[in-house]
Amino acid sequence: MDFNIVECVLLAILTFFFAIDQFSLTEIVYRPIIACPIIGLVLGDMETGLVVGGTYELMMIGNMPVGGAQPPNAVLGGVVAMIFAVKANMDTNAALGACMIFATFGQYVVTLTFTVMSGLMAKADKAAEEANPKGITNVLNISMLILGSLFAVIAVLAYTGGTAMADTLQNLSDNASWLMGGLSMAGTMMRFVGFGILLKIMFANDMWGYLLGGFALALLFGNVDATASAALILVAFIGVMLALIDFKVNSLSKNAGNGGMSDGI
Amino acid sequence: MASNELLTYKDTTPAARLDNKTLNKMVWRSCQLQAAFNYERMQSAGWLWSMLPGLQKIHTNKEDLAASMTHNMDFLNTHPFAVTFVMGMVLSMEQQKMDITTIRSVRVSTAAPLGGIGDALFWMTLIPITAGMTANMAIEGSILGPILYFIIAFGAEMALRYGLMYWSYNMGTKAVSMMTAYAKEFTHAASVLGVFVIGALIANYGGGVRLGISIPNGQTAAEDGTMVDVFINIQDYLDKIVPCLIPLLFTLMCYFLIKKKGFTPVKLIGLFLVIGIVGAIFGIWAGGYQPLVPVPWNVL
Repeated sequence: MDFNIVECVLLAILTFFFAIDQFSLTEIVYRPIIACPIIGLVLGDMETGLVVGGTYELMMIGNMPVGGAQPPNAVLGGVVAMIFAVKANMDTNAALGACMIFATFGQYVVTLTFTVMSGLMAKADKAAEEANPKGITNVLNISMLILGSLFAVIAVLAYTGGTAMADTLQNLSDNASWLMGGLSMAGTMMRFVGFGILLKIMFANDMWGYLLGGFALALLFGNVDATASAALILVAFIGVMLALIDFKVNSLSKNAGNGGMSDGI
Repeated sequence: MASNELLTYKDTTPAARLDNKTLNKMVWRSCQLQAAFNYERMQSAGWLWSMLPGLQKIHTNKEDLAASMTHNMDFLNTHPFAVTFVMGMVLSMEQQKMDITTIRSVRVSTAAPLGGIGDALFWMTLIPITAGMTANMAIEGSILGPILYFIIAFGAEMALRYGLMYWSYNMGTKAVSMMTAYAKEFTHAASVLGVFVIGALIANYGGGVRLGISIPNGQTAAEDGTMVDVFINIQDYLDKIVPCLIPLLFTLMCYFLIKKKGFTPVKLIGLFLVIGIVGAIFGIWAGGYQPLVPVPWNVL
C-alpha cells in the first residue's frame, strides 16, 4: 500500500466528521451508502465506494442502532473496508469481511467514550447551576472532540498499518476481553444513576406501588412477543390511566375538604 | 445539588409565546441531542443545549434560568428525531411556569415511550425500504443511489422535527392553561405517571445487567442416548424469584445513596466502574468475555 499524506489527513478529517455524525448532526451521512462513496472520492476511486457502500448498507438492514444497542460500528467498518478495497485491492466481500474486526473495535471505542463521558455530566451540572449556557456548549464540544479524535486515530492506524493492523486488533480484543466486558457492563449500570437522580425528585413514600407496578408491567409486556417492541408506550398508557385516577381522587377530596359539592356527583 | 430541591419558579408570571424564529432555532439545535451522549444521563446535555434558546427567552431572571437548566439535565432518552415533540410539550409548560416536579414527570413520561415509536417508524421501516431501493443503484455504480437515500432519509427526519415541534408546542400551550386550577393535584398525578414510567424503564433498559456464572454440573443422557453437559446458571434462579432483580436493586441502591448518604453522581459512576470491571475480572457478569482470573465456571 502506498502512503499519501494528503489522503491520510483527509481520511482522518472525514472519519472525525462521520464519528460525530453517527449520533448527532444529520445522523444520515455516516451511513455506508453515503459515507463510502465520499471516502472513495478521497482515496481516488468513487466507483468502488459506491459498490462497497451499497453492499454494506444492505448488510446493515436488520442491524440498526435501536434501543441503545451498539451493533458493530458502521463508521469504522466503512472507512476500513474502503481502505482495504482501494489501497489493498481486495474485492468487495473480502474487504467487508476483513473490516469487521475494526467495526467491533469501533463498538468498543463507543462504549468506552460513552462511559468516560458520564464524568462530564458533573461539569454540565455545574454550568446549569450557574445558569451558564456556554458551559453546556463546551461539554458538547468536548464530547464531540473526544469521540471524533478517537475514531480519526484508528482510521489513520488502519491506513498506515493496513491489514497487519487487523491481526494486532484481533489479539488485543482476545486478551483484553475481560476489560471490555467489564466496561460495557459498567456502562449498562450507569443508567441506574440517572434513574436514581430522577427518583430523588419525584418519589414520595406513597408511590412505592407505582414504581413496582410499572416495573412489573414492563417485564410482562416486554416478554410477550406481540407487545415487546411497544412495551414502554403500553406501560405509559396504563400510567396515564393511573394518573387520571390519582388526579380525580385528589381533586375530589380537595373539594370535599372545602365543603363543596361542585362536581355534582 | 442544592438547587435540585427547587420545586417552583420564583417568577411565576407566564412568559410570552415563543416566536417562530426561536422555535426554528431549537428544531435545528435538536440535531445535536446526542452530541454528549453518555451512559449516565444519556441525552441530557444535548437536550439542554437544544432547549437553551427557548429557556433563555422564558426565564429572564438568572435564578429561574439556573433552576430550569438544572432540572433539564435529568436523565433523558428518547428518539433523536421525535425529540421535538417532547421539547414542544416541555416548552409550553416552562412558559406557563408550572411546578418543576410536574415538568420533570411529564418530560420523562413523554420521552421514554417515544423512543420505541420512533425506532419502529424510522430505523425499522423507512430506512430498510429506502436502503432496499437505493443500495442496488449504488452497487450498479449510480451516484443517484446515495443522493436519493440522503434526500429521503434527511428530508423525513427534518419534516418530523419541524412538524412535531409546532404541533406539540401549540397543543401543550392550550392544554397547560386548563390545568392551573388544580396545580398541586396535577403535580402529584404527573409524579405518579413519572414514577410508574421509571419503574418500567428499569425493566426495559436494565435487562443487560445479568450474572454470567454457569457452573458445569456433570452430564445427563439426552433423548437419543448421547451424554450432554449440564450447567447451573445462577441468573436463571434469580429470574425465577424476580426477573431484572439486579437492575431494580441497583436503582434503589442509587436512590438511597443519593438521598440518604448524599452521594454525587460522579461517585456513583466510579462505584459502577469498579463493580463492572472487578466483576469481569472474576467472571461474574454476563458478556461472553474471558475473565482475567481463571474461575471454575463458564461465563455466559
